[in-house]
Amino acid sequence: MSLLHTPPNRPAGKSIQLMTTCLCDAFYADVAQATVEVLEYLGCDIELPEGQTCCGQPAFNGGDWKSSRKVVRHAVRTFLGDKPVIVPSGSCAAMVFHGSLLAFEKEEDLPEVEALGNRTWELVDFIVNGLGIDSWPGKLYAAISFHSSCHLRGSNSAEAITTLLSSIEGLQLLEFEDKDQCCGFGGTFAVSFPNVSREMGTLKIESLTAPEPDIVASADMGCMMHFGGMMDKQGLNVKRLHVAQILRDSLKNAGLI
Amino acid sequence: MSNDRDTIFASIKSALEPLPERTECPDWADILPVSKKMDTSVSTKELFVRQHVAASGRACSSVDELIQLLKDEDCSFGYCDPELANLIPEDAGIQFDTDYDMAKVDEYKFGITKASTAIAESGTIVLKDGETSARLAALAPWIHIAVLSEVDIVSTHLEAIQQMADDPYIVFSTGPSKTADIEGILIEGVHGPGIQVALLL
Amino acid sequence: MKSYQPIDIAARDLNPDIHKATFESSKVKTAKRRAILEADYDDADKLRETAGLIKQHTIEHLDKYLAQAEERMRENGVQVHFAVDADAANAAVLKIMQDNGAKSMVKSKSMATEEIFLNPYLEKNGMEVVETDLGEFIVQIDDDHPSHIVTPIIHKNRRDVAKSFEREGLGEYNDDPETITRRARKHLRQKYLDADVGLTGGNFVSAESGRVVVCTNEGNARFSISANRIHIAVIGIEKLIPTDRDLSLFLNLLSRSSTGQQLTVYNQFISGPRSANQPHGPEQMHVIFLDNGRTEVLASECTEILRCIRCGACLNVCPVFRQAGGHAYRAVYPGPVGAVLSPLLAGNRYPELADLPKASSLCGACNEVCPVNIPIPELLLRLRDRAKREGIKKATKGTPALGLWATLCSTPAMWKTALSMGHTMNYIPTEMIPHPSAKAWQHARKLPKFQGGEFRKWFKNRKQS
Repeated sequence: MSLLHTPPNRPAGKSIQLMTTCLCDAFYADVAQATVEVLEYLGCDIELPEGQTCCGQPAFNGGDWKSSRKVVRHAVRTFLGDKPVIVPSGSCAAMVFHGSLLAFEKEEDLPEVEALGNRTWELVDFIVNGLGIDSWPGKLYAAISFHSSCHLRGSNSAEAITTLLSSIEGLQLLEFEDKDQCCGFGGTFAVSFPNVSREMGTLKIESLTAPEPDIVASADMGCMMHFGGMMDKQGLNVKRLHVAQILRDSLKNAGLI
Repeated sequence: MSNDRDTIFASIKSALEPLPERTECPDWADILPVSKKMDTSVSTKELFVRQHVAASGRACSSVDELIQLLKDEDCSFGYCDPELANLIPEDAGIQFDTDYDMAKVDEYKFGITKASTAIAESGTIVLKDGETSARLAALAPWIHIAVLSEVDIVSTHLEAIQQMADDPYIVFSTGPSKTADIEGILIEGVHGPGIQVALLL
Repeated sequence: MKSYQPIDIAARDLNPDIHKATFESSKVKTAKRRAILEADYDDADKLRETAGLIKQHTIEHLDKYLAQAEERMRENGVQVHFAVDADAANAAVLKIMQDNGAKSMVKSKSMATEEIFLNPYLEKNGMEVVETDLGEFIVQIDDDHPSHIVTPIIHKNRRDVAKSFEREGLGEYNDDPETITRRARKHLRQKYLDADVGLTGGNFVSAESGRVVVCTNEGNARFSISANRIHIAVIGIEKLIPTDRDLSLFLNLLSRSSTGQQLTVYNQFISGPRSANQPHGPEQMHVIFLDNGRTEVLASECTEILRCIRCGACLNVCPVFRQAGGHAYRAVYPGPVGAVLSPLLAGNRYPELADLPKASSLCGACNEVCPVNIPIPELLLRLRDRAKREGIKKATKGTPALGLWATLCSTPAMWKTALSMGHTMNYIPTEMIPHPSAKAWQHARKLPKFQGGEFRKWFKNRKQS
């Protein structure tokens, strides 16, 4: 098993369950809203399981697997059925289909955990590889520095995001140095290694902003909360958007929603 | 010691026993790691020379060329494998011993020995103990000249590895000795030769 | 910023010159590695994965391959020894020297002997030991420790080295790297000629032929077995590969991954004492197979780390290593591989090093560059879980306690209440939250505005309309 693993043969129907992510639930309502608007534009029927909370990743990365399993079990109980589960986050998706399996290696209920993983998709991976859409009809005249988060490393999502964003009319994806360098978030790492995390964040912000983008974007609000919080503290006023917001805004600009 | 042996084997066995299944050895016949630089449009010899030079080695295709190189580098005294001694004409102004004298290790500015084969893919010279008249002659002087016949050149590492037979000491030597330990700056000629020559005959 | 994790503290306090040297040189090496793999192979990942499977297969059949290698070696005239730990290995080396009336040793670079502290042991027993790799020689005269597996003095600049050479009487101060290298050549030349014993490590051992493969660029490992009578190779038991043929894969990956070279300058295949007609080279060859915790690793949930071929690529690419430097890891093996291997090999010292697996943002770059495809982030995670279960404070300090959070996250009613109550956070100055994690977060960042429950409300209302 490797962190780059994405399960094969996941279901891809248009009747889906949405995993909002705890960060969008608590801090980034518009990202979740944009995800809904994009999926509904594509004709998806969205179910939002009420009892959902978090995927369990903070404790998993922090080394408290017992606590993590408690949260994962809750997610398994919450996302019942066999519909595709869509998550607007590369790292939460990887937690569901990969991290959880590690934490449950020696547990009896591994099959249920695995079953949830086998129907979970990161949003753009779902749009491109699940629904077979490889160009986006929106318009957005902007130069974008896209931060490819580490959980997208070598995944289907990385390519899917480039494909979709670069097909948007007027959108220019900028090249910059050290594109695949980690931003230094890493969940609890950001607080248990405050100095290293800050240094990594500083480097990331430098490379992201070097080509003078109109927008800095990512598919993971965890990363953006970290380096975006640093940008706010430094008074750097570059607009930041989640990829779902870009897809939604570009549809609006084109008068499609 | 024999006790340590038993302990280690017992520990390995008990560590491996609980494994539900063991990884099979992959078959990798179809993905041989041959470099894209393995240009098949040129001869093996040509490719060897190109790659040898790319690895900072020098290639000579005649004895005259070699003599000129030794003079240019101000290396007029060295060692030569007795079986190769008649390569260098007596009037060439180059002196050498054919019996390696340990007392002269630092006086020998060059060493001429036989190479067993060479590898075109990487410009590598292959030295075998059984065919090298003196290990130090191929290592201690500033210039090492490996004499090789172009028919002996193989294409890939795999071919060279499969031809190793039972010689107890084989060296794949690719270019001059080098280091980048100080600030990553490349310096050639650390403990071994600063100039590696392939003399192709 | 106040911190609880030793590696974070080390990074904060690292000398700026060392930081710069480490940061820049690792960047260059990472770029070279990538460039040569892309230039030379259509699918380098396939090669990495294959090499990883071959190594995994080998360590999962270690009993068979180790016995096979031992048998071949004995047939080849090699004297084979086994050492369960550092003490046994050191004693074995000393005994070989004493039995042969040997007094001096030249040593080629070997991580295994760093691991067992062979040099001080031999010196204490009256032997002269000289490191011959240029970097290791400088480490030795400075009484320092390597900070990188492949480039041991990545933490020193030329001026540091020039001062050390001047102090050791190796000429007047001169910080030109070429001059320094020539002086080392001259000084070490005599050591090679005078030494009784040459010691090397072993990058690979072919079980099929019993060949020990040693790879160096400087030529010091060649010199260590040319002028002396006895060759001792100290080799970890995990260094085996099944066949000679496999070497064509591993040698190509090792050199490209470690230094961005197509091939290491010298790859030596040694299967015994010198040939009958050869005037130079050892009359005796001894191989000491070292366990020193490796069989415990084999029994652990981190066996994959035994695939490691010590190329150093994971160090070079690791953003934490690049900020903290190698000494921050307080062990022989630094960086991502060290963060897994060092605590596992530490024996009783495990709790002292249990914090190392925390020193990673789990970015996965180490896995991506690994020539034997070791899933390092997974192994780091497993060790984090272990440290938490075993209650090792050094590892858990600074990480927010997540038990209460887990309860919150598995009780929807509590979660929803928290979502609605959290809005008060927008009205109090967040800098005043007395939690250490909140302080650590806000040291360099602002917290986002709390919007708990707003999305759910929007979704619900919209459905009704």
